[in-house]
Amino acid sequence: MDPPSLKKTIFFFVRQLTSRTSLAVLLCALVGGPLGAQDVPPTSEFADDPEAIRIGMGVYRLRCADCHGTDARGVRAPGLTQLWASGRTDEGIFRTITQGVPGTIMRPIDRIRTRDSEIWQVIAYLRSISTPTTTHPMGDAGRGEQIFQASCSVCHQVNSAGGRLGPDLSRIGAARSVDALVDRIRGEREMRIMATRATVGGAMVIDKNFAQTSLTAVSGESMQGVKNNEDLFSIQVMDMAGRIQGFDKEALQMLEVSTESLMPAFGPETLSDAALEDLVSYLVTLRGHDAAVQ
Amino acid sequence: MRLLKRSIYLSFLLAVIAVPSVAQHSPDGRLVTPDEIREGLTPDGSRWVTFGGDYNNHRHSPLTQITPENVHELVPQWTFQTNVLEKFETTTLYRDNVLYVTGPLNTAWALDARSGRPFWEYRRELPEFLTACCGLVNRGFAMMGDKLYMVTLDAHLLAFDSATGRIVWDATMADYTQGYAATIAPLAVNDKIIVGVAGGEYGIRGYIDAYDAETGELAWRFYTIPGPGEPGNETWAGESWRTGGASVWVTGAYDPELNLLYYGIGNPGPDYHSESRLGDNLYSDSVVALDADTGELRWHYQFTPHDLHDWDATEVPILADIEIDAELRQVLMFANRNGFYYTLDRATGELLVAEPFVRTTWATEIGLDGRPVLLPGHVPNEEGEITCPDLRGGTNFWPPSFDPQTGMFFVNAREGCMTYFSWVQEYIPGQRFTGGSGQYITDDPDMPHYGALRALDPTNGERLWEFRYPTPSGAGLLTTATGVIFSGDNDGNLLALNSNTGELLWNYQMGATMWGTSPITYMLDDRQYVLVPAGTTLTAWALWEE
Repeated sequence: MDPPSLKKTIFFFVRQLTSRTSLAVLLCALVGGPLGAQDVPPTSEFADDPEAIRIGMGVYRLRCADCHGTDARGVRAPGLTQLWASGRTDEGIFRTITQGVPGTIMRPIDRIRTRDSEIWQVIAYLRSISTPTTTHPMGDAGRGEQIFQASCSVCHQVNSAGGRLGPDLSRIGAARSVDALVDRIRGEREMRIMATRATVGGAMVIDKNFAQTSLTAVSGESMQGVKNNEDLFSIQVMDMAGRIQGFDKEALQMLEVSTESLMPAFGPETLSDAALEDLVSYLVTLRGHDAAVQ
Repeated sequence: MRLLKRSIYLSFLLAVIAVPSVAQHSPDGRLVTPDEIREGLTPDGSRWVTFGGDYNNHRHSPLTQITPENVHELVPQWTFQTNVLEKFETTTLYRDNVLYVTGPLNTAWALDARSGRPFWEYRRELPEFLTACCGLVNRGFAMMGDKLYMVTLDAHLLAFDSATGRIVWDATMADYTQGYAATIAPLAVNDKIIVGVAGGEYGIRGYIDAYDAETGELAWRFYTIPGPGEPGNETWAGESWRTGGASVWVTGAYDPELNLLYYGIGNPGPDYHSESRLGDNLYSDSVVALDADTGELRWHYQFTPHDLHDWDATEVPILADIEIDAELRQVLMFANRNGFYYTLDRATGELLVAEPFVRTTWATEIGLDGRPVLLPGHVPNEEGEITCPDLRGGTNFWPPSFDPQTGMFFVNAREGCMTYFSWVQEYIPGQRFTGGSGQYITDDPDMPHYGALRALDPTNGERLWEFRYPTPSGAGLLTTATGVIFSGDNDGNLLALNSNTGELLWNYQMGATMWGTSPITYMLDDRQYVLVPAGTTLTAWALWEE
């Protein structure tokens, strides 16, 4: 398949995604599930209840907004305004909230403290602020994959291949909107935050679980990588080769934890607009199956 | 065999003759008298029989075996696991080599303090639909005579036979289907058991109850929101008093000489919406002084009139006699969720000291009239307004401690800010009723989010030292006469520090935070133990012994 026809295919594919009627077919094709399972109508009895939506907003702000943003456009965790546009269902979102996403900071919600009705109210709220369509990259996904292999796979895995320093991107196309992907690759959100915070002079940790870390133990062993965790007395680090090691801080002669993420910002000088379009066109195809996220 | 039978028969006869008057005064080691609770922690470390160690809530032990010099030699002696989902928020009681422990989800145990092995286990069926807002937890037993007292999540007060775990009586405190719950550790005072109801986020009308310790009959009830015709009802616009919250979920203090109970009262509801309940909203966010015999209100002090930020005054009050301006004063010390530390005269309610102990942006100071001097722009709205502290507050329900030797007050403080939102919400019985919400601000360097163990001078509110945690801690405290303070951080570390300097002496990773739990300490077989509830485990520590 030559590039132009691939491009057309992707465009067609993405167009199809925006159509509600073909949504179930596509989703089932992607996850390999039975068609019938996707025919279940949204079970949120609160969908059109303004009071429930308002309560859902309250629960969302208290329990979800810290990571997903007050406007649900994503901070440390995915934006949620295009969940339905990207093919998620009420039931699937309910499962994600109740079961969490393995391997991420998204833990199962505390069912002892949270009624099912409150979760449905959150879903009703998210539905009320969701946007129907997403913007669609028009690039060449094949070229995008090559860019990914050359520039990104050293840190990011897709379908078990690639580095382990950064987040696994096997289902990033389902987890992030195109706008959020562009923002993250360009580092625009981070730059905006830095700009607004410039007056207070503090650099900030973009994502504290991926802070650059360099240390030397009293024994002479040294390690460079990203921080996985830290408390007053110990630190847990992954080195550039993906080896994980923990250290007692007392046993270190040098420890430097940067306030910045290891993920660089790819500006237009290192990644042209066209190349970015290609890369994002590839990323939106990554919708790897995860049992907890359907 | 015959001898044994005869002996049992004799015992039975004696018991029939002896009860019930002997129950309160028997020399039997497992019986607790009101005098013993009044005396508090003894130099021999033989007991810890009430929530705060004594009625003053000092949580300060006279024991001296563990010192700043040897605390690093602590080693675990045993671990007990609840095998229950949900976490401890309890203070354990200790008497006659037995530990009495309440757990989450209506559970309780009597444990052998030598081994951690249970004598008995209690588990009460949970109703299908509970409304406890913030964890299905329990904060501990009370003891009196041969009985233990525990509240349940479905708002009952139970009396147990302490030897068997059998329920002696069961009193209904409230209707849990209407948003009421109970998590408080009861307080045994004279012949009564004092408790309160939770449910401040569900539109309840709060109260403090006293029950007869022997029979379970209600002796008196103090409504924390005055009804029509009672003083203070006018501080609630319209009918808002009916659903104004003002719950009671943290154990108060008791002064036997004044015969006064001191309880901190929860937030007004709906939590964040001003127009729904215009007025000061008494006695929400107040400390009330009640006659222990009648429940009659002697005085009150409201920390946060017309609170809009969920700043329950359900922190633990501490009583002591301290010198202020060359005069010995009977005081009540209170580090409040609203960010201010207070010292009050506990006989009259007169405000003596009020100073911020964390960053506060909503009020500049507490004025001479005792009211906060408010700053504009701190009324939550649909768009959101930013206020410090956040809704969890400058501190919260986790117990502080007080060292009467040095006069230092210790508290696990929180620094942080929040965007608060509010809107009109309809009240539906049994449903959450907050009229708004909040969002924590955790990544703005201008509004740092962290915790600190702080030592304060209660005569002026000044900070004497602090030990910082990367994130806020919810651990309760314990101090000892040798100058050791036990605390915990938010990452699961159990910490021992020098209480005079704040220097870290020892730490151990427990695997769960001490969320609202405090260690206790006692002597057993000539060794000083420190008992720490964290997560779902209870671990007993003592110094290394060959």
